[in-house]
Amino acid sequence: MLQHDIVVVGAGLAGQRAALAAAKAGHDVALVSKLHPLRSHSGAAQGGINAAIGKDDSVETHIYDTVKGSDYLGDQDAIEFFCQQAGPTVIEMEHFGTIFSRADDGSLARRAFGGAGFPRTIYAADRTGLALLQGIYEHLGTETIRMYDEWFLLSIIVRDGRAQGITAFDRKTSKIEGIAAKAVIVATGPFGRIYGRTTNAHSCTGDGVAAAYRAGANLKDMEFVQFHPTALLESSILITEGARGEGGILKNGQGERFMARYAPHVLDLASRDVVSRAIVTEVKEGRGFPGGYVHLELMHLGKEKIESRLQEICDFARSYAGVDPVTDPIPVYPAQHYMMGGISTNMNGETNIPGLYAAGEAACVSIHGANRLGGNSLLETLVFGKQAGIAAAAYVTTAGDTELLPEDLERETAKFRALWDRKEGESPRAVRTELQQTMDKLVGIYRLPDELYDALRKVRELQERYRTVHVVDPSTTYNIDLSDALEVGHLLDLAEVIVVGAIARTESRGAHSRVDFPVRDDKNWMKHTIAHRAPGGPELSYSPVGYTHFDPKERVY
Amino acid sequence: MSIAEERLLAFAEEKLVTVPFDVYRYDPARGGQPRYQHYELRLAPHTPVLTGLLRIRDEIDPTLALRYSCRSAICGSCAMLVNSKSRLACKTPVGPEVKEHGRIVIDPMRNQPILRDLVVDQQPFWNRYEQMEPHLILDPKRPMPKDGPTRMSPTEVERFKETPRCISCAACYSACPAVEADPEFPGPMALAKLYRFVVDPRDGATQARLQKIQTNGLWLCLRCHLCTEACPKEVRPSERIRDLKELAVEAQGGTEPGSRHAIGFLKNIESAGTLNELKLVRQTSGLGGLVAALPQGVRMWRKKPEITKSPHPIEGIDEVKKIYEALDGKKKGKE
Repeated sequence: MLQHDIVVVGAGLAGQRAALAAAKAGHDVALVSKLHPLRSHSGAAQGGINAAIGKDDSVETHIYDTVKGSDYLGDQDAIEFFCQQAGPTVIEMEHFGTIFSRADDGSLARRAFGGAGFPRTIYAADRTGLALLQGIYEHLGTETIRMYDEWFLLSIIVRDGRAQGITAFDRKTSKIEGIAAKAVIVATGPFGRIYGRTTNAHSCTGDGVAAAYRAGANLKDMEFVQFHPTALLESSILITEGARGEGGILKNGQGERFMARYAPHVLDLASRDVVSRAIVTEVKEGRGFPGGYVHLELMHLGKEKIESRLQEICDFARSYAGVDPVTDPIPVYPAQHYMMGGISTNMNGETNIPGLYAAGEAACVSIHGANRLGGNSLLETLVFGKQAGIAAAAYVTTAGDTELLPEDLERETAKFRALWDRKEGESPRAVRTELQQTMDKLVGIYRLPDELYDALRKVRELQERYRTVHVVDPSTTYNIDLSDALEVGHLLDLAEVIVVGAIARTESRGAHSRVDFPVRDDKNWMKHTIAHRAPGGPELSYSPVGYTHFDPKERVY
Repeated sequence: MSIAEERLLAFAEEKLVTVPFDVYRYDPARGGQPRYQHYELRLAPHTPVLTGLLRIRDEIDPTLALRYSCRSAICGSCAMLVNSKSRLACKTPVGPEVKEHGRIVIDPMRNQPILRDLVVDQQPFWNRYEQMEPHLILDPKRPMPKDGPTRMSPTEVERFKETPRCISCAACYSACPAVEADPEFPGPMALAKLYRFVVDPRDGATQARLQKIQTNGLWLCLRCHLCTEACPKEVRPSERIRDLKELAVEAQGGTEPGSRHAIGFLKNIESAGTLNELKLVRQTSGLGGLVAALPQGVRMWRKKPEITKSPHPIEGIDEVKKIYEALDGKKKGKE
């Protein structure tokens, strides 16, 4: 049995930052990831990281913008802490070696982002996630951390009311191992692959969130799913909000700058939920291009600016849509992009289970509330990754030793073998495809009660069918048929929570737009949805929103 | 309809073509011999190879093993050989491959042990990267500013132009014949990474890094530029290796056979417009090297006695000198 003080699952920005904080506190830290850390989905973040470091800007405005962006569902105390940490976090990352874009005077360059009062998004061209991921990984190399690259999480072991460690297997051998740890930090990122139309990587399947949920951790605000307004038409590859921050504009099929109707003040730089709804409305009302999409135009920015500041998306548009942004508009349509919900934590990454922590997109503090602002998620990974690492480090100095028992391993091995040894059944990918089609069609930007109930029925039918999926591949080496099957199980559990939460919430707030309840209902619904796993499906309860001094107002952009 | 719209529509409605795939299959854990498995799909020509392979997994054969994640050329997982060239599968459209080769042959990357099918063991690749000490090494005399980010001039920033784009996909490492020939050679990615730290104004170990790499593989690059051809992110590793060599020579002169050879070459051409092989051997390896090369020299002399004579300057030597002067002026102008 392997043993460490702290095991971090997921090695994107949040996981690496947590591991770094825990290792700096002098603990024996393991970092488990199903990918090499440098291949984590954090690296795909394009636009930037918010920090109010400009002379004209203030932390107070960043706080206000985030509270407003969250449609008053974000915890204001957490948001205050978060925004105060922004400047120091960015500076720290710069000192770790991150290569940011610079203004002519040598200071960090900033660009405008949606929903922000000032240009406060610090960036590295249009690959800010990659720059930060490289920066933290390089710095992590100066600490001693035990890396378990390409290990796949099976379960989080909770016994005697506390986390005891995890079970996982090395993808190179498929051998199951137990890793005992006094604290487990989950940082496995999002689960966007619940949807077919998603900007998320194939690996974003919520493995850690599902494992935590199955182990008894509460999930929070899962019904809030962000759709990014500008994803490439066919592949759903992300075109950064930075493209509009640099001056890009949206036009409908009639050549009209339609955002003037939806956000007369800030136009194309309204909050993401607002812009996504606008695009869907334009297309639905027949003002889209044939095939159902709108145009993102950059041509007027000029070749030099496009190719230097938006290098990657230039490449994407050319490779994946066959258009050159220098001369042609880019065809875009919203796609699932970010999960505001996740494992319910406080500001220290603590969950309802002692010894279990979560950070990054896998977690929900909540600072994003009902809608996340662009540039706040990279910041979240680093601020709360560090918090979780510090909190876990403090916890393990007083917590007693944990151990994994033979039966912990036997139980997981039995489940694993039952899945793998089945001799016939449906393909896990067939189940996944149906789940994705269901969520795309029925649990999208605009939500109708009948459709949500249809979705719930379908998800539960798929959960039934999942019990008999068949892994064809017998190999013990890099068996993706097997990991596909495990991942689909995670997606199904989490999809159910999203749908149940969406059915219950009879209001429209941020990214959750109920056609039958089109307005925000602060009297009844200014509260977080908490989902707890029960035999019959998720059980919902509600918890109050952290309040300091921002009273809810109507959101106008 | 605008031209752009027409192009887009044409793109969306492209006719499907039959794409024959021949995919390398081998599972050492289960024994047997490596083989190619044939699959056929109907795909639009702009479809990335990765999409094709995932459709094979979804619809025909779920046992095919490969690494992939982001499908947008940023995670670096899906490098493989597409018709013998090291490519990112997610960034290579099927159409042009079928047009040129009639089919798509997929192999695992080169220079890395095969774990299964298209999955290779990348540990040696990562080890070489780690050998570059890929993190900032601070000069205690130049600490980071206390309460703000470092300032960087546009010239300093300009040096970072290409290297931050690297996604560690190892396509360059796979394409590199020097990696194949010499286990001492760190490979293009590791050297491009090293360059990124050497030019970083925050790093305090520039000279130590240059000194170390001069005796640890910098001069083993064959200058074939296959890495630059393979790189999907325009890092242009061979040019970064050239930049490293220039910096090493500028800072430390001809301390190694590699750098002395480069300097000798330059001087030879400047003085005569052609090479004096004898002189070049001495310039590169010193008198000892000349003595060591003697048996080979004698054999060469028997076949071609004129090699011992100093070659006469070529006819247009004045023009050559003008090129040197112009380059010198350009360099001074830069400084």
